[in-house]
Amino acid sequence: MRRIDSFRLALLAVTAAITASPLSAQGPPDSGQPPMVELTGSWAMSNDEERLIRVDPGPELGNFTGFPLNAAGRQKALTWNATIQAVPEHQSRAHAATYSMRGPGPNFHMGEIIDPVTRRLVAYTITGLFENANRTIWLDGRPHPSEYAEHLWNGFSTGEWENGALHVTTTHVKPMFIQRNGIPASPYAVMHEFFIRHGDRLLLISQVDDPVYLEEPMVRTSTFRWNPGQREGGLPQVEVAEEVPSLQQGDVPHYPLGSRHPEYADENKLPFEATLGGKETLYPEYAEKLKQLMTPQGPASDRRPK
Amino acid sequence: MSNQHALRPARIAVFFAAALLAGHRLMGQQPPAAGAARTPRAAATSDLTGYWVSVVTEEWRWRMLTPPKGDYTSIPLSDEGRRVAFLWDPQTDGSCKAYGAAGLMRMPTRLNVSWQGDAVLKVESDAGQQTRLLQFAPTSPPGARSLQGFSVAEWEPIGGGMAGRGVRGGGPPTPVALKVVTTNLVEGWLRRNGVPYSDATTLTEYWDRVAFPNGDVWLTVSQYVSDPKYLSAEYTTSMHFKREPDGSKWKPAPCRQT
Repeated sequence: MRRIDSFRLALLAVTAAITASPLSAQGPPDSGQPPMVELTGSWAMSNDEERLIRVDPGPELGNFTGFPLNAAGRQKALTWNATIQAVPEHQSRAHAATYSMRGPGPNFHMGEIIDPVTRRLVAYTITGLFENANRTIWLDGRPHPSEYAEHLWNGFSTGEWENGALHVTTTHVKPMFIQRNGIPASPYAVMHEFFIRHGDRLLLISQVDDPVYLEEPMVRTSTFRWNPGQREGGLPQVEVAEEVPSLQQGDVPHYPLGSRHPEYADENKLPFEATLGGKETLYPEYAEKLKQLMTPQGPASDRRPK
Repeated sequence: MSNQHALRPARIAVFFAAALLAGHRLMGQQPPAAGAARTPRAAATSDLTGYWVSVVTEEWRWRMLTPPKGDYTSIPLSDEGRRVAFLWDPQTDGSCKAYGAAGLMRMPTRLNVSWQGDAVLKVESDAGQQTRLLQFAPTSPPGARSLQGFSVAEWEPIGGGMAGRGVRGGGPPTPVALKVVTTNLVEGWLRRNGVPYSDATTLTEYWDRVAFPNGDVWLTVSQYVSDPKYLSAEYTTSMHFKREPDGSKWKPAPCRQT
């Protein structure tokens, strides 16, 4: 009898120890997970940088300043014709994830997808982006799909918390642009974003790594302000109409290979080569080179490469 | 004797259970709260020190060279601010006024960030050869107004400042970000073409460090400039700097005293 009692006592003690520990670690929902900052709500773009570029009228043709374009990226960007946006199929086209957080605006809403059974946070949603370029950021640890899987405007995004910031990785984005003047992004681009909240302000740091069109990953930053009364734009924002009657069915507006667009350089009295972007142009050393290029040797257009 | 033998497994089990519970309790304990009885240097949850280079991927035309007179695109100037901006003399290009706290971070520059003791972060720029001192809980008064002003630093929980709304859930202590509020400035320029900020300016900044999977480490400085005299609204910008392995590219260049 004693033997049975002591066995039961031992079993009870071990069972209690094993079961009590996970229970005590559970605490309130989400505890035990890495630090999670509340990101849900409406956010309004509050950046004053590049306001005319990010809203309207948008960036100028041939203005590739600040972009680490390689030769292939530059060639493709120079063939881009803004009339492509007027083709009926493109008029209400969503912006790809590689650009949609940059403009126009944007003002967006961050929502949640909650598992109805476990009440765990499964994903964030971002809505209100241009032409419904809504995004889903999966937080449940699911893997990215095969490289052969379908590519979408919003791509496939997963998120994880790192040092208080939400780190989002996006792949499978359709080829589009990273700036609204045709600076391209290939389907092989991978985007990493960090959402960092400071009180009612939100900082977004994004890096687009595109081995096809960029010499080095492109990093940009944006700031947003918590704006609880905000109502993001609905659909459709653009009514599809025939905007360019001269376009025939099947026409794809573009500039031919070898085109050059010196207007931006001329208007702003910049050396043409400086407006073509490239890694070298992004660093402080280039300010010195720029001064040399801008020595009084005639108008900028005269200094264009022949 | 036989009873003692019979109890031995139970004693072992109880001991084992107690050890398990104690172990879990220890594992569940959190480290001391950030900043509690620790120096600001020890309370940092990310290392902001080292050499950083600004990578100008935004507003390139306004940052890489001096914009034309009157080009204050994107800056919410007041009428008085516009009036003063148009007084700018291009002959003063290169003036140290462009390297004050509210304009310095937008310069194409390298930064050298280091700790000066345990409570002051020193930020040096090679462009304009300026030094900012970000002081945690400063004990001395601000002193005379200056180009870099008086900067009070604090570690703020990321997501914090929202009275419980910013952070949710339990878990380990929330990482902290550097918040800096700078006042006591003399008049300076937001841009090299004389777009002004006044001595009534308050500059609020957040400094964040992130590491991308490709190994690149970046420092981002978000700036919020409030100036009741020359601005009609808060002026918001964010600048990013890439970490460099050493100071081999450090190239000091003084600004012009005008």
